[in-house]
Order: sequence, then C-alpha cells, then structure tokens
Amino acid sequence: MSRYIATRAIRGSNALVAEAEALLKQAVEEKGADTPVAFPNTAYFLPVTFGMLAHEVNTLGDLEFSLAHAKKLLHPLPEDNLWVPYLGETLDSGMATLLAAEAIEGVRFAYGEEPTLYPGLELAGSTSYPQLNGTGHLNGPIDDIQLRSWGIQLVDGRMPGFAALVGAAHSNEAAVAIVRELQRRNILTFLCGNTNGRSVIDQLHEEGVEMGYDTYIVPFGTDTISAIYPLGFATRSALTFGGLKAGQWRDILIYNKFRVFAFVLALGEVDDLKYAAAAGAISYGFPTIADTVIPEILPTGVTRYEHVISMPWNEIEAETEEERAAKMVQRAIEVRGVKVKITEVPVPVAYGSAFEGEVVRRADMRAEFGGKNSRAFEYLLMAPMDEVEDGKIELIGPGLDTLDEGGSMDLALVVEVAGRKMQEDFEPVLERQFHYFINGASGIQHIGQRDITWIRISKAAAEKGFDLKHFGDILYARFHADFGAIVDKLQIKIITDPDLHAEWLAKAREAYDFRNRRLADLTDDAVDTFYSCILCQSFAPTHVCVVSPQRLGLCGAYNWLDCKASYEINPTGPNQPIQKGQCLDDDKGYFAGVNEYAKMASQGTVEEVTMYSIMENPMTACGCFECIVMVIPEANGVMVVSREDPSMTPAGMTFSTLAGIAGGGLQTPGIMGVGKFYLTSPKFVSADGGFKRIVWMSSFLKETMAEEFKQVAEREGDPDLIAKIADETICTDVEGLLAYLESVGHPALTMDMMF
Amino acid sequence: MALTGLQIYKLLPQTNCKECGYPTCLAFAMKLAAKQAELADCPYVSEEAKAQLAAAAAPPVRLVTVEGPGHKIEVGNETVLFRHEKTFFHQPGLFVRVKDTTPVAEIKAAVEAAMGYAVEYVGMSLHLDGVAVEAASGDAATFKAAVAAVLEVTDRALILMAADAALLETGLSATNGTRPLLYAATAENWEPVAALAKAKNSPLVVRADSLDEMAELTEKIKGAGVQDMVLDPAVRGLADTLVTLTQLRRLALKKNFRPLGFPLITFPGEVAEDLLDEAAFASQHIAKYGGFIVLDRFTPASAYALLALRANIYTNPQEPIKVQPGIYEINDPKPASPLMVTTNFSITYFSVANEVDGSGVPGWLLVADAEGMSVLTAWAAGKFDAERIAKAVKSTGIEDKISHKKLVIPGHVSVLLGELEEELPGWEILVGPREAVDLAGFLKLWNA
Amino acid sequence: MTVEIPVEKWSGKVIEVALGATAEEGGTRTHAVTVGGQTTLPFLHFEGAIPYPPRIAIEISDQRPGDWSPLLLEAWGDVVKDPAAWAKAAEEAGAELILLQLSLTKDGDTPVTVADAQAVTRQVLDATGLPLIVFGPGQVDADNELLVAVAEEASGERLLLGICEEKNYRTIVAAALAHNHLVTARTAMDVNLAKQLNILISDMGLPLNRIVMDPTSAALGYGMEYGYSVMERLRIAALQGDKMTQLPMLVTVGYEAWRQKESKVGVGVPEAWGEWEERAILWETLTTTTLIESGADIVIMRHPEAVRRARVFIDRLMGK
Repeated sequence: MSRYIATRAIRGSNALVAEAEALLKQAVEEKGADTPVAFPNTAYFLPVTFGMLAHEVNTLGDLEFSLAHAKKLLHPLPEDNLWVPYLGETLDSGMATLLAAEAIEGVRFAYGEEPTLYPGLELAGSTSYPQLNGTGHLNGPIDDIQLRSWGIQLVDGRMPGFAALVGAAHSNEAAVAIVRELQRRNILTFLCGNTNGRSVIDQLHEEGVEMGYDTYIVPFGTDTISAIYPLGFATRSALTFGGLKAGQWRDILIYNKFRVFAFVLALGEVDDLKYAAAAGAISYGFPTIADTVIPEILPTGVTRYEHVISMPWNEIEAETEEERAAKMVQRAIEVRGVKVKITEVPVPVAYGSAFEGEVVRRADMRAEFGGKNSRAFEYLLMAPMDEVEDGKIELIGPGLDTLDEGGSMDLALVVEVAGRKMQEDFEPVLERQFHYFINGASGIQHIGQRDITWIRISKAAAEKGFDLKHFGDILYARFHADFGAIVDKLQIKIITDPDLHAEWLAKAREAYDFRNRRLADLTDDAVDTFYSCILCQSFAPTHVCVVSPQRLGLCGAYNWLDCKASYEINPTGPNQPIQKGQCLDDDKGYFAGVNEYAKMASQGTVEEVTMYSIMENPMTACGCFECIVMVIPEANGVMVVSREDPSMTPAGMTFSTLAGIAGGGLQTPGIMGVGKFYLTSPKFVSADGGFKRIVWMSSFLKETMAEEFKQVAEREGDPDLIAKIADETICTDVEGLLAYLESVGHPALTMDMMF
Repeated sequence: MALTGLQIYKLLPQTNCKECGYPTCLAFAMKLAAKQAELADCPYVSEEAKAQLAAAAAPPVRLVTVEGPGHKIEVGNETVLFRHEKTFFHQPGLFVRVKDTTPVAEIKAAVEAAMGYAVEYVGMSLHLDGVAVEAASGDAATFKAAVAAVLEVTDRALILMAADAALLETGLSATNGTRPLLYAATAENWEPVAALAKAKNSPLVVRADSLDEMAELTEKIKGAGVQDMVLDPAVRGLADTLVTLTQLRRLALKKNFRPLGFPLITFPGEVAEDLLDEAAFASQHIAKYGGFIVLDRFTPASAYALLALRANIYTNPQEPIKVQPGIYEINDPKPASPLMVTTNFSITYFSVANEVDGSGVPGWLLVADAEGMSVLTAWAAGKFDAERIAKAVKSTGIEDKISHKKLVIPGHVSVLLGELEEELPGWEILVGPREAVDLAGFLKLWNA
Repeated sequence: MTVEIPVEKWSGKVIEVALGATAEEGGTRTHAVTVGGQTTLPFLHFEGAIPYPPRIAIEISDQRPGDWSPLLLEAWGDVVKDPAAWAKAAEEAGAELILLQLSLTKDGDTPVTVADAQAVTRQVLDATGLPLIVFGPGQVDADNELLVAVAEEASGERLLLGICEEKNYRTIVAAALAHNHLVTARTAMDVNLAKQLNILISDMGLPLNRIVMDPTSAALGYGMEYGYSVMERLRIAALQGDKMTQLPMLVTVGYEAWRQKESKVGVGVPEAWGEWEERAILWETLTTTTLIESGADIVIMRHPEAVRRARVFIDRLMGK
C-alpha cells in the first residue's frame, strides 16, 4: 500500500466529510430538518447510504446519521516516521468519502441544485426533470428503469462493464478517442469531475459528441462529488440483480468485485478528493487507471488484480491518440479482468466445424507446408502479460505470393499466450487445438501436430484471398472464443524466414522435449487430484471415467492435463476435480475420494473402483474406448484389441462384439475399455502384473506404437517382449495363442496365476 | 448378490467346447453375468456349480407363463425398479375382460374386435394378449359356454375368473390344450383352488387384503405344490395401487422376499368411469409394475395408445429401438429434392423426420444401418462411417430416384466429408446442421 | 406373517418453488401456486411428504395458432383469437397456471414487437388471477428482446419465463433477476446437462427456488421413455441429496403430443389408430399421466378434455 496515496486519500476524505457537515448544518438551519431529500425515480433512497448502512434518507435530518457514520470511518494522517499497512484506513476513508459525497448531492437536490445545469447541452435520452423546462442539464443519478435495462445487459454479458471517467483528458482529441474506444467495446461510459476546472464533459461537448442514455455515455456532473452516481449505480445493481438486502454491505461490495466489471479512468492531475473517491471505488473492486504519474498499488486482494495503475498519456507508445486510447482502455480491461469476446472468425473463406473433414488433394492444392518437401511446426508458449500485445499477428519472411502453384515452403506458427489463469501445463493442451481451429477453414487441410504439422491451402481458398496471415486470424479468434477463461492475450508469429524458422524450431523442440519429460514425471503419486470425465453419461448414464496422470481417458482424447484445463475453462463442465483422498490400497489403486466420487456420479451404481486392476472393480466404460483389454484365462494374461482391428481375437469375439460387453457403464471384471496410451503406463493393470500380462495385441497397435512399446519393453527388462506378444497375423484362437506363447517363452506363462 | 463373469467362469468346465454357442467359457460366463444367456445352454456344467449358480441367478420375481391355443405370454423375471437401471424384461399382459352374463354373440363380437386388433408401430405389429372370462353368472354351464365361445374366436391366452374351485374347474374343462391363468385363490377357497391349479398345472392368482395375509397364503399354496402364482393385492384406487405395487416390487427385489416374488395383476377398469379414465389408470400400471392388466373397455384408439406406451416403457434403454434402414420419403419428394442421411436409432430418426416433415420441404431421408445408435455414438463406435454411409447410398438404389448427386450429412460427422467423397466418387457431400432442429432453416436454403 | 415394508430413507428434498405473486408479495395474482417439496418419489405417500400435487398449466398463444390441430381450435372455439378470453376459458377449463406462448410474427410475417408482447401480457394478467408462464418464440434474439420487455411489464409478478437453454439463458435470467421473476431451464434429456444449466443459472445469482427445470419431454410413441427415465434419474438424484437436481420439473406435454400425427391429423392415417378425437385426447392424456408418474411437477397441456382427465388422475393419486 502506498503511504503517499493513503495520506492523500485520508486527507481528501477528512476534508470532504467536514465540508458535508458544514453544508448540512447550514441546510438544516436554512430549510429545516424535515425538508425532503430524494434522488429522482429510484426506490433505493440515496443508494450507497441505503446499501451500506440500510439507512433510508428521506429528509435533511436523516443525513445526520450518514455523516455521523462517515466520521467514525475517518483516520488521522499517517505519521511521517511510522510505516504501517494503510490499506484498512484508506478503504475506510474511501467509504467515508462516498457517504459524504452522497450526502452533499442529497443536500443539492433539496436545494434544487441537482442536476447541474449545463445550458446548450441536449441529452440523447436521460432522466427527465420537468421542472427544468427544457434547460440544458447533466444527467444526475441514473433512474431505476434505466438501471434495470442496462443491468440486464451487464448481467447477461452483452455489455462488458462500465468505465467512470473522472477529470479531463489530455486533450479534446484524447477525450473523444477514449470514449470512442469504450463505445467500440460496448462499455458503458460515465463522466464526472474536472481537472483545473475543465471536465471531460466539456471536452466531449465541444467536440460534438452526443451524450445521454441512448449513446451509453452519461455525464453526471463536473465535480468529483458526482462520481458518487456510478457507485450508486453499482450498489443498486447488487441490490437488484444480486438479490441482496440493504445493509449487506460486505456482500454488496463482493458482488461488485466479482460481477460488475467497472473501472475508473483518472484523467489529469489527481487531487486529494480524487484519491479519496478512488479509494471508495477500490472497496467495490474497481481499479483506477490514471493517465498521469502517480504511485501504483499492486495486487493486495481488494480488487481482482492491481488497484491503481499509472499510464502517463505521453509515455504510451503510439502514433495517434486513437492508438493511445486503445492501449489505455485495453490495459484497464486487463486490470479489471474483463474478457474480450470474439464471435466471428475473420477469414475470406467459409469457416465452421463443417469443414473439419475436408481433404485438399494435390491437384487442388495451391501450396503446402510440411509433408515431404518442407517442414512446418507449431508451437504455443506462455509469456508474461506485458510481453504480449493482444491481437498482434506478424508474418515474418516471404509470403504465399512468392510460391509457385503447388509449391511448398517451411512454416512456423508460433503463438504466445498470456493469461492470469494460464499455466505452462496448458501449453500442449492449447497447442493441440491448432488442428481443429485451422481445419475449420474451408479449403484448408491440417494434419499432424508439433514438428510433423502438415498444412495444405487449396487453390479455391487462395483465390478467395486466403493468405498465411489468416492462420493468425483464425487462431486469435478461436482462442479468445473457446479458451477465454485462461487466455487473456495472445500474439502470433507466422514465420517463413529460414533463419528465424530454424531458431524457433530449436526452441520448440526443446519445449516438446521438456513437455515429454514433464509428462513422464507426472505420476499418480505426485498429485493429490484426479479428474472425472462424465461427458458420455448421456448414453452410458452410470459411466464415470477417472483420469489420472498415468491413466488417460479411455477415449484417448483426454489426459490429466486436458481435464485440468477443461475444468479451468468450464468449471461446471464434465471434468471435475476428484480429491484422491486416503489411499485404501496402493497396489490395486483404491482411493477413498475416487470411490466416493464414482458412487455419487454413477448414482450409486458403482460403489468402488480400482485404478490399476482389471480383475477387481475395474473402471467402467462408455463405448468410446480406443482398445479393449480382456483376460485370456487359458494364457494367464490379457489381450488387447484395437478399434481399428476387425479380425477375430483369441477371446472368440471381435472388437464390436466385445464392445457390447465392455461398454454401457457396467463394471465387468475381466474386461475393460482403455485409451491406447494407457498400455504404456507403468500403472497399466499394475495390480495384475502390468504390461507383461499382454499375450496378444492387434498388429495395428504394434505398428503404430512401435517406438513407445520398445521403451516399455526395456522398462520391463525384456527388450524382446513385443515380439513375444501374438497378434491376429499369428493366431486368432486360444489354441494357437497358447502354442505361440510356449514357443516364444512369453513371461505371462510363468507369472502368478491370475485366477 | 449377483456373481461377476469371472466368478461364474471359475464354476464352468473351462474347456471352451463352444457347445453353448459362445466361443469361450469366459465369454459365456460374461453373458451369464449380464443375464443374456441361460446356464442350461452349458451341457457340461457340474451339479454343484449349477446349484451355486442357480441360487445366485434365481429371479426375484418369478417368471409366469400363460398360454392360449396359439399364443403365450410370459411375465415376471424383473430385476430392477427403474428401467434406466437395466431394463424391464417382460411386458405386462394386456387382457380384455368379458362376463358370461353377456349374450354369447356379443361376447364373441367383443373378443373378435379386441383380439383381432393389431397396429403397426416402428416396424412392430402390436396386439393385445388375451381375454379374461369372468363367471359373473355364478352358473357353471353359462361360464363354460362363454369360455368355449371365446376360444372359438381367438387363440390368445385366457384368464378364468370365478369365485370357487368348482366353477373354475368347469371353465377349465373348456380350455383343452391351453394353460389359462386362474383367478383367484383367497384365504377362504385356497385349498380346493390350489389343488385344481396343481392338478391342471395352471398358474394361479392369489388375492388377499393385506400383504401379511398374502405372504401367508402364497406360502401355503406353494406348500400345496403350486409354483406359478400371480398376486392381486386387492387394492383398486390409483394411489393405493401405486404404493402397494411399488412395495411388492421392492420386497421382491431389495429384500429378495420369496413369498411375494410374483407378478402382479391389476383391474384399472373397476375404478374408472369411462374408457379414457381407464386408459389413464392403466398407463400407471404399465409404468409401475403391473404384470397382467385386465381392461374392461376396448377401442382401437385406446389399444393403440396403451400398446405404444407399453412398447416405450419396455424398450431396453441400453438397446434402443431401431428403425428399418432404407429410404424414407417425406413430404412427397421429387427427384430434385434433397437427400439427407442419418442413423437408424429411432429417436434420431424421429427427430430428423419430424423436423423435415415440419419444415414442409420435401426430402429423401436415407437411414443407414448404424446398429441403432445415435449419430455421435455411432460415429464414435465406427458404425456410422464413410463406408457404411456409402454402402447405404449404393444399396438403396436412391441414385435412380433422384436427379442430383448431393448428400447432406449430419453436422456432427463433418469429419467424414473427405472420406465420403472418396467412397462416393462424383457425389457432392454437404454438411448439414449439427442438430435436427436446425434442419428446417438449412432446407429452406436448398436448391438442387 | 408380518411383512416388513421397505421404506427408503431419502436425505434430499425437492425445492419448493412458488409461481405468481399476490398483492402482498408485490404482484397482482389472486394466489401463488407452489410446486416441489417432495421428500420421496412421486405419490409414495407412505414414506415421505408430497405437499403439492402436480400442477396443470394450459397453453394459450398471443396469436391464433395457425399450426394447431383443428381439434384443438374447435375445442377452444373463438377464444383462440383473443388471449384474454382464452386465458379466462383456460381457467374455467381447470388450469392452475397459464402459459402464454409468444409468437415470432403476427398476420403472417410482421414481427411481434416489444409493445405487442407487453400488451398481450398485460391483457392476460388482467383477465386471470392465475400465475403466468411466458415463453418466447424460441428464437434467441426474439426471446431476449420480448422476454425482457415482458419481464418489465409484469415486474414483480413472479412469472415463469422461458425457455432458458445453455446457448441462451443469460438475458432471460438477468431479466428475471431485475424484475423478480422465475425461469425455466431446458436441457436435452440428460441428467448432467440439466445439472450444468442449473449451476450456470444459479451462478448468475438467481436463487434455486426461482428455477424450474425442463428436462425435455417427448410424446408417447416418440421417445417419451427417454424423458421419462431422465426425470426418474433426476428425481432420484435429488432425493439422494444432489443439490443441483432438486428443482421441480416442467414438461410441455401438450406441445409434444399435439405435434405428432396421432393427434394432429385425422385423415391418411392407419385405420388401426382408431377414432381421431379419442386418440388425440388419449395421446395427450397418457403422455401427461406417464410423465406425472416419473416426477413432473408442472404439465403444460392443450386440450380441455385431456386436462379434465389429467385432473381426475392427479386427484386420485393425491388421495382425493
């Protein structure tokens, strides 16, 4: 907490409370304590006072209670030689300021001095004051009808939030640029205050900017005291939409912190009163961004992130005022935690999941990247917030136009992501989305991942104007739309320049390698949380997938990291964290938390589940499994048949017949549906003897996973193990299987009996 | 406690003789555990194993068979309280009651109408199961004549309803070669009625006013040598019937309470004022645990509604109704009308067909054999892939009926587009909406 | 022999939801209608509380519904042209709630405006003292525009606004929050989707006792058993204590039953289907009675005769 800010806020509030007291004393003397006090068209009295104190102000006399309370919140100035955390005192002062400011506006209404007259100003929609007979005026507080109408848009997300501009911008041009930027982003704009007598309202009026309800720009007043109106609006939002009652001050503030995305832009020099009012806003969780040099208050928890940020206008790197305004608003949005929403993917070809399956044949191809004749790779990495410029898309190197028809070139897609909830572990999860995102464009084909990426652009797409830069547009739009919960900002480099390509490829490979090792280190023992997947309950109502670091989902599509990310993105979705709880059986993998969850999520059908056994309470399966593992009692082992394998198996059944037994959400000891990468896990049926139990396996698996299995064989201490496993080219019945196993000396024959 | 497939396997001969029809003993054991196979299919199972397996496998609700000259109905063997837990296995018998006080000609006409009734529903022909003949006259000869008259016009199963053993015996004498259900043994008449049932090997309804009395009575009748019983708990009101039938099913399933482990019979017409109320009450008994439902009123409309309901409730939730694969014409399509493909899961078919129908746009709906799975499930299971869709296109001869070569596939399987273009050279594959509800909008934009 | 009757000890309870606000509660309804509160499965009075019967709502439309079966139009007669008169007739026919279904267009193709929607809501509120359910036309933009206006017009009446779906619920919920209404949350016959939408809606700050869930129903013969089983599963989960399933359930049986051929048309159908009107009424009645057995708390119906039959059925089940 800044001692400087604390000092100035406390001083500001002390002064304002004293001013309010004097004003009220005079008003009561002049007009009497019974003189009515009311804001127009609201059922919430003086809303901040009502919300915070449950105190209904109807008369001047009623204001005495408000100010008495405000006085209790005042503190002496911090001493020069004593340093303490001033946060509490500052927030108290902020609240005292708000109560005093609202009292002053109340007195002004009693005198008919509010709303402030502003001759020549015609508002485009405003609270009506018939008594003013058409004289130009500022808006004063927002009435309840408008509150509900805007409130609905704020609550349903059509309006991201509101900004309170206090003071005067660097120039008229800057004022207009800021307001236009806010309008562009659908952010409601409230105007108040002045700097050295000039208000942002004056600036906009001079520039002919239309203000009023209809333009979402509301001029409240030309002094800082009128900044109470935006906070009255916020208070009433909590009462109206949060179902809160007057007096639940803490809940009202928390509601605003988490649900009302508002921030203050302090324009021009910040005086004591502005500091005091900003302190009041901080209590609501609304940060202040100043366009002058002031001390910053970094995160301490009252607002979501930083509390006070300084962005001196002249130091913002930009060519134009518009660009400066855009950067300032962008920063404010980040500080407040407002999310960008993008609904359309701006590419010159049709876009949608309908195009995911398209194939671009060589004859129809404009160009390709990767494959036989060139190398393409994709790499997504996490970067610090201040190193990512959201939406920046660069093409570095020669473009598509330098390529002959049907030609090929090296390509790198490098995406740098920053996000407050981003984690390094999510990098591969997000990187895998490139495939789906890019395939969604009509006429583009994407195959592979990492450094075996292979992309083709069709002639038709190129003719419509599809260019390399559009890969960036696609990724930008889709990451914001689908992963907004963890991605705050991203910038994209599309690299064709050979040197830079080589440089990034080296970095990417290092990262791939690191991720591989990270995955290998990620063991079930090393974490205390597994994740559920109940995506498939729509057709297998009692099926509960439990995904652990060493046992990925049976469909192969979700590993532990995917589930973790999925939960961050969609906390109410099908992937929920399961606390492992007490380990009840290390060997078979019984965990108290897993049992409890499985019982709950299967509606009592599955009472217990083992993570590492096929013989006892094995995990259920829906029907999406990549492979089926089934016990072959005669061989004292198990066989694994893959979905791609249509042949007969030693179990006497084909994959599709076996699927009927393994699926449906029923626990069937002896048979289990799994993801193929689970086969390589050290925890693969480890309670029953592990990988060495595999006596038969579809040749498809042997071929496509040869590299992985080789490593497993070495881990198991039997480098020739894979060759000892039969497949459908060797035998498809038990007799043949036994003969083969005998002939090669398969270890399962001499292992402990499974039965 | 049910045994798992592995536990059952240990009790089997483990010879893989394949005589049961399954390739291995383990496969057979898993089918047994899933109650999809009968132990009797194994010729070599030991007596000891049989005893152990039978004890574990004995159905909590006894399977009771009632046979007419040409039809039989089996009721019972239920294992769950709610169909989503597994499935309901044996549909309740729907019977129509006639009284012997009605002139014979009218009886015959009524029976002919009800038993001659059949209706097509998703490719199945549905009908009622039999006739309950009540000796309302109390006169043996009249009863016998009525039973004989019924059997002249139907070969369905019978329920004979009479107050005493003598009447029942006379009625039975007219039913040679059949196995009717006798109604009913009570605390007063159970000895002679049970003796009759035993002698004629007939299933027998037991009626008692309380569950306590009912349990005593079934034990006595069992002692007298009758195994096949059906229970009438003598409640008729809608609320009481629901409660009592639920309690009986729970006792059988959860407590494995053998004295009450039998199918249940209801008479919804007795408390209904007319046909519509009776059908509504009967709907409860179909959903909630009725085994034999005796109706007093019949019209084609009410029979259709009840039969459809019964088919719905007794659909295996894990093995949904399929519709016939092939070409379905909607709104009288022309050669230029759009061709869409979907799976043969009935709900998928209905959603798609309804939306096309509702859109008013004529269209050809190609239903591919996806083993009764919905689009996404079938796709995930490899039952709705490019190969199968292409096969459906080629085998149905749709090419001769339409003037274009455009096929709309469900949006959820857009990934099949490339493969399909390979499988169906010369065809243009269009990706339709993901959900059926968006089809109308999609079709409006169609121009072939 | 004494038979020990098994009694389930459920730990959960269905949340009580009150539709409609009386003058005392800030509305103008003559009385509120409460649903929920069960502590056992439907109508098992012997082991738990069934404080309220399933409620029958009758569906009326702001425009003469051109696509309704002639049987329905005949049954209601001239009132179908006048929502206020229709609401009154529905009340006389035994409705405990009125569903006002808003249309997308009037007279063929002019869009129904905010003013139209507000006016018809006002007319119906003035015509009947029953609590009101209002459904938008079912098209995202129109729903949001019209329902916000309706919510404002009927501020404080505790309307049940629908239909919230995962793809569009925020605006409707916000309107309900602003004006003290309730919402109905529809998901496609799936327990987890239902839970998820309930969570999303309550996350916006709407208390659970202002949400009714619609697990999506289908008509007899057209997949009804799916909805039936999902409702049984939801209710069992609720009684087992799963909070996000403890909401009362609503089913649109009239809409579902009357869009099927069995009810809709009388010609060109198999003879075995029997007499048209009898079949049509049976179709709606049996769809209703069966879903009531699986836990429906509010049934939205269309034909007055089917309503009469459902009433008999409910009264008998409630032991009247």
